[in-house]
Amino acid sequence: MSLVFKAEKLGKWYGNVLGLSDVTIEIGPGITGLLGPNGAGKSTFMKLLTGQLRPSIGSITADGQPVWNNTSLFRRVGFCPEQDAFFEDTTGREFLAGLLALSGMGEKEVEERAGRALAFVELLDAQDRLIRGYSRGMRQRLKIAQAIAHEPEVLILDEPLNGLDPLSKRKVIRLIKDYRTEGRTVVVSSHVLPEIEALTRTIVLIHQGKILAQGDIPYIRDLIDAHPHVVAVRLDEPRRLGALLVRDPSVQSVAYGPEEGLVTFETRQRDRFFGLLPKAVAESGLDLREITSPDDNLQAVFDYLVGK
Amino acid sequence: MPIAEQGYVHWEGRLDVRRRPWRPIVRLGIRLAFRRKAFKFVLGMAFLPTLVFAAGVYISERLDDFKEMIRGADRFLKVDPEFFKAFYASDYLLFWMLIIMVLAGAGLIADDLRHKALQLYFARPLRRRDYLQGKALTLCFFLLLLTLLPGFLFIVLKVIFSGSFKILAEYPWLPLSVAAWSLVAAGFFSFYTLALSSLSRNRRYASILLIAVYFLSDIFFGIFYGIFRDPAFTLLSVKSNLQQVAAALLGAKPFFEVPWEYSAAVLAVLAVLAGVVLSRKVRGSEVIK
Repeated sequence: MSLVFKAEKLGKWYGNVLGLSDVTIEIGPGITGLLGPNGAGKSTFMKLLTGQLRPSIGSITADGQPVWNNTSLFRRVGFCPEQDAFFEDTTGREFLAGLLALSGMGEKEVEERAGRALAFVELLDAQDRLIRGYSRGMRQRLKIAQAIAHEPEVLILDEPLNGLDPLSKRKVIRLIKDYRTEGRTVVVSSHVLPEIEALTRTIVLIHQGKILAQGDIPYIRDLIDAHPHVVAVRLDEPRRLGALLVRDPSVQSVAYGPEEGLVTFETRQRDRFFGLLPKAVAESGLDLREITSPDDNLQAVFDYLVGK
Repeated sequence: MPIAEQGYVHWEGRLDVRRRPWRPIVRLGIRLAFRRKAFKFVLGMAFLPTLVFAAGVYISERLDDFKEMIRGADRFLKVDPEFFKAFYASDYLLFWMLIIMVLAGAGLIADDLRHKALQLYFARPLRRRDYLQGKALTLCFFLLLLTLLPGFLFIVLKVIFSGSFKILAEYPWLPLSVAAWSLVAAGFFSFYTLALSSLSRNRRYASILLIAVYFLSDIFFGIFYGIFRDPAFTLLSVKSNLQQVAAALLGAKPFFEVPWEYSAAVLAVLAVLAGVVLSRKVRGSEVIK
């Protein structure tokens, strides 16, 4: 059975800097998404999960065993760090083979698994090239390959989609989903909600070292919808568009300016509003130039949740 | 928290319970060192004294044949502890050992720090001790190649060329001395190199540190000795301390009139300091201060 992680009143300080505080959570099979802005404590939590950091307070266990310094447990965990972590002078295959050997496998098995992992991340063609010549997407896929090569029961991926182009992102999302279907535990972190949405419905919101909310996507979406979103539209006749939309229940307020041709809407029903806006523009023949959502980011949601 | 998907997996992989988890690190370190052309050249240069001394062993048994050539130098060709001291404590060999450390060792930890690879090591069933053992044994491999191997080769050659075991009868402790000095040299240089490598994320800076500490310590010794004429300043020099200990372990006359135990103590203190540096610098995760 796949490992179940339990954190109880878990806390981590780096000197005077708070990394994580009072985290109590259980993570089992399936994909769990850790969502939070940069510096929220996601990487700290992941390093505590992988036993690389010792908790300052509280405990973290996997199937009842403490994780910290438990090397026998590390055989069952695959970790993909956020930053690039490679031996740049080796080839992709050598890199994987070296790490597999460190996991305790024999030579034949190392070769077999390295080949399988490289095929999984579609890097077989580049396997004999030095890593220093790999593109960003290839490096990210190689990082995932090293995490899955020993076929761990638990996969911990820290910002695996960071800095990837859309095509590479799709590839990596598919890889992670394929891995999940084999019944394993996957913990993945991101500071971008749509990325996490594409991967899982189970989300943990983490902010300033604390868990703010946990649940599935609709719950998080509801939280987000409860927060008024600001949508700014730039066009020739802003007052005409404002008049068309102001009566709709999804619109909470309408404001014009400060620049000419700019109208700003506040809505608590973002999806409904974004359904309505293009329809109104198309039907009235308005000349739309720009739509922006200044606060449509995770930080705004977190600010709302923490009552800023 | 609701669990969206449940699943179970039966682990079918075969994982060894290994006694030597550092082995892949040693293998990788050796392979990467041999990939550098400069390293192969330097290793070749470092073997020159071995060739010269091996020839010396041969000539020592054919003094009459080479009478004209060696005129007056036959006392240097007596294969005894002084012969081994001349080999092991030569500036030339120590210099090339240092250069080998620069090329094969300066980046061993510095590169891992630069590429943030420590977290990959420590996310695997590998302890900090195993990691450091792997790195140190990589260096020991090269150092023992330059010390232990030639030492035993000279003894074997002497036995073959003389057709007798006289050398072993006269100096029965010689093989042990050779082994002891080789281990001391390999151990000290490994600690020295790894500690300085862990002080920087840049292998070039680590290389400069390795060379600077070694030569500056010798220059300071030279300056102070020149002024005060006190052999105690030998203790300031890494090289001189190594030479003193080499002479003592090989049962030969020391270079300086300073008890060799003092030099051994200096080397031991440096090794302990290196150990402290390594324990502070080699961590799985970065620590924010």
